Amino acid sequence: MKANRLCTLVVFISTAFLSGCWSNQELPDLALVSAIGIDKTEDGQYMNTVQVINPGNVAGESRQGTGGTESPPVSTYMEKGNNMVQIQRQVSKKVSRRLYYAHTNLLVIGEKLVREEGLKNIFDALERDNEFRTNATVVIAQESTASELVKTLTPIDQVPAEKIVNTLKVTERMWGENLNVAIRDVLPDLVSSGKEPVISCFSMYGDAATGETLESIQETKPKARMMASGLGVFKDGKLVDIVQGDMSKGVIWALDEIKSTLVSVDWKEKQEAVVYEVIRQKTDVGAEVNKDGKGKITIDISVEGDIGETAVPISLKNPSILYDVEDKVEKKIKDNIQSSVKKAQDLQTDIFGFGDAIHQSNPKVWKEWEKEWDDVYFPELEINVTVDAFIRRTGLRNEPFLSSID
Amino acid sequence: MSFRLRKFFRPNQKAAEKSGHTTEPLNSSLQKNLDALNNRTGYSSDIIIRKLEIEDNKKTKVAIIFVEGIVDSRSINDFLVHSLVSDGDLQDKQADQSVLDTIADKVVSVGIVNRIHDWKKLYESLMSGHTIILVDGMEQGLATSTKGGEKRSIEEPPTEISIRGPREGFTENIRTNTALVRRRIKNPDVRVKSMTIGQVTNTNVEIMYIEGIANKKIIQEVCDRLERIDIDSILESGYIEELIEDEPVSPFPTIHFTERPDVVSGNILEGRVAIFVNGTPFVLHAPSLFVQFFQSVDDYYSRAYIGSSLRFLRIMVFLISLYAPATYVAATTFHQEMIPTQLLIVLSAQREAVPFPAVVEAFIMEITFEILREAGIRMPKAVGQTVSIVGALVIGQAAVQAGIVSPAMVIIVAITAIASFTTPSYSMAIAARLIRFFLMVLAASFGFYGLILSFIVIIVHLCSLRSFGIPYMSPLAPFIPADFGDSIIRLPWWRDKKRPKLIGTNNTVRVGGNQEPGPPDSRDMKKKTRKGD
Repeated sequence: MKANRLCTLVVFISTAFLSGCWSNQELPDLALVSAIGIDKTEDGQYMNTVQVINPGNVAGESRQGTGGTESPPVSTYMEKGNNMVQIQRQVSKKVSRRLYYAHTNLLVIGEKLVREEGLKNIFDALERDNEFRTNATVVIAQESTASELVKTLTPIDQVPAEKIVNTLKVTERMWGENLNVAIRDVLPDLVSSGKEPVISCFSMYGDAATGETLESIQETKPKARMMASGLGVFKDGKLVDIVQGDMSKGVIWALDEIKSTLVSVDWKEKQEAVVYEVIRQKTDVGAEVNKDGKGKITIDISVEGDIGETAVPISLKNPSILYDVEDKVEKKIKDNIQSSVKKAQDLQTDIFGFGDAIHQSNPKVWKEWEKEWDDVYFPELEINVTVDAFIRRTGLRNEPFLSSID
Repeated sequence: MSFRLRKFFRPNQKAAEKSGHTTEPLNSSLQKNLDALNNRTGYSSDIIIRKLEIEDNKKTKVAIIFVEGIVDSRSINDFLVHSLVSDGDLQDKQADQSVLDTIADKVVSVGIVNRIHDWKKLYESLMSGHTIILVDGMEQGLATSTKGGEKRSIEEPPTEISIRGPREGFTENIRTNTALVRRRIKNPDVRVKSMTIGQVTNTNVEIMYIEGIANKKIIQEVCDRLERIDIDSILESGYIEELIEDEPVSPFPTIHFTERPDVVSGNILEGRVAIFVNGTPFVLHAPSLFVQFFQSVDDYYSRAYIGSSLRFLRIMVFLISLYAPATYVAATTFHQEMIPTQLLIVLSAQREAVPFPAVVEAFIMEITFEILREAGIRMPKAVGQTVSIVGALVIGQAAVQAGIVSPAMVIIVAITAIASFTTPSYSMAIAARLIRFFLMVLAASFGFYGLILSFIVIIVHLCSLRSFGIPYMSPLAPFIPADFGDSIIRLPWWRDKKRPKLIGTNNTVRVGGNQEPGPPDSRDMKKKTRKGD
């Protein structure tokens, strides 16, 4: 009896193992894809460039040990096709391993593709795939192709995808002209009629062709470099403009995404003489509909920061001077935001999500406006910006040494 | 002892019983008795028979019989032979008593003297180190306690080292062992019950408990289980453990053993029953709980916070020793997306040159380590260095440089190995060693799914175990808040006032009120007045 039961148990247990090592994949069978670049070719097809990590050249003992010819940390493979999945499968003709997308953290899209066709056709495959992560950063290759960006080797960060993502993260925290936008941040904006997406742009400078070679990064100043440039503004899923400098900073102020940045204000005749370092801020967007049927948006910003630099001899012990500086900072930020909003209104695309704000405050009105929001109602919005700046600290010195010189 | 040998012995013994040697009473003729004895023992050279004539009116013949080596020859010479032969006043002393009574009452100056009427009792006494005195014309004899012989002295227990705590360890002598506990608990309520187990070896087994604290049902259960043992030999307490444990097929031990008298004292004070076996320094105690296997004596001797955190660490580390290689295998063959990108790049760079799948690599390393460990235990101490050098070089370096295993795998195996040494109980650590291999197979075929399943199965199994009627996982499952104070944590003595509820049923309070110490109220050391004082 007992033996019988044991036999049954063994049979049951062994059936569990009959599946073998189902979906088991060993590390050396995988090609880790770090970045995907998508372009549009002249004949209207998609051209994908995948950046595959060569683990042995990035990390581990072998890098120092072999001493032979150094090989690049990544390899790239290009493939043309009419849809994403087809391309992904077709690449297998060129790569000896299965492409593994779970660690892909960068998606680069060529400017031509987003201007002509938009984002809508390429995101489905990426979102549907269970391996690809939608928290991967997405950037636009400004004035170059995605494939050029993906192929370029970079110093310091050995994997170029890491370089782009980390650069975005750092500049987002330090400077505030770019946003580290993930695919999953873009998707809801694409669907929503009350907000349009913005995506950071990256551009190449230098000689793009030599960027693919190891010689490029063997110099202190690589021949081909990449930098975060502007902020791509979308309308109906298509890129309509790329805003840069203070204009893009204004967008990010209004989006409440500023983590830290600078505001330089003029002092008497000297331009940008006093530098205010923002350490924290909060932006509140309120929406209401006036009696005359026009929308009104109030943007309330409270900013806290330090004095980073004064190029003029002013006494920071004097409260009235500090109030002056605060006023100038407030005005500068306000101008910044107003010009950005004006620009968006000209482009007729609501990248700030003011539509969503109206939707929340006046759902009934929104139902009427939704269809023609971007083209009719958004450009006519009345925008009211109030900024409250506060100087928390003035650094280690109250009296600038400049005042002793004179 | 082998199966065949057992078969050989047992019918033989039964035949002996039938022929009347064992239970038959003694003969009145000394010569006949001695002949019978010699026949039974086959003239063994270590059984010494000394014939004497005593100085009474009849010149009665007396024989002294003992087994050389297990008796104290000095006390035989001084207190038996010398007293019998040179006592000229025997006749005066004798009065109207029989010779035997005179010897027992007036001549022999040894602590314990028992009467013997049959052969069975005679052999038992003889073999356990008593000296037998037979008198011609008497159908009975005397057994005098002259136990002795060479024995190991008390040393520091090699398997249970403590930083702070007594350095005494049990020895192979059961009487020394019970004495070590007696010395710690000076109380007449400490009870010792003796029994003989093993048809051939007749091993002395004793249970010890504290009357009034230990649960009577548990004592009864322990006695019942010991009494039903029918085996030829008991050479170590492991025999007993295997014959009385609750769940013989479970990898987890349900009976705890120790080499330290302070551990046994602590356990019987909590209401457990200790089982001493002659011939081994390892003492069992039951019932045992899962958490007990992670408790070390240092927990009780160091301050409570330290004791608690170390216990917590040990349980965490036990999980590492169970799951580390399995998790590595599952993560690198099924769940690469769960490994941080940078780490994955490093791992896959290392695995690049390795020709085996991760699970094979893990098995190679784990088995190599087990071989080294086993070799390390069995090896003569003089060549110990050789194995450590070979092990360190072969596993640590050569295997990695040759590209047979990856450095990450070496790290995993090393951490597993070190982790498995932190479990204070060897029997629990060895259970983890065994289960680890099953978990690796599960991880290689099902990934994390298999690991989670195995975890559930292990927990369910642990919860289903009982040790002498006490749930193995208590006080965690069933959850007993009052007992939680001494489980995976240890509360200070002034907070943890009760004995384990399920074990010490009769008498649970062990610490009085207001035991929490504190500074005096004022600088002149005025006594603090607290509630209830």
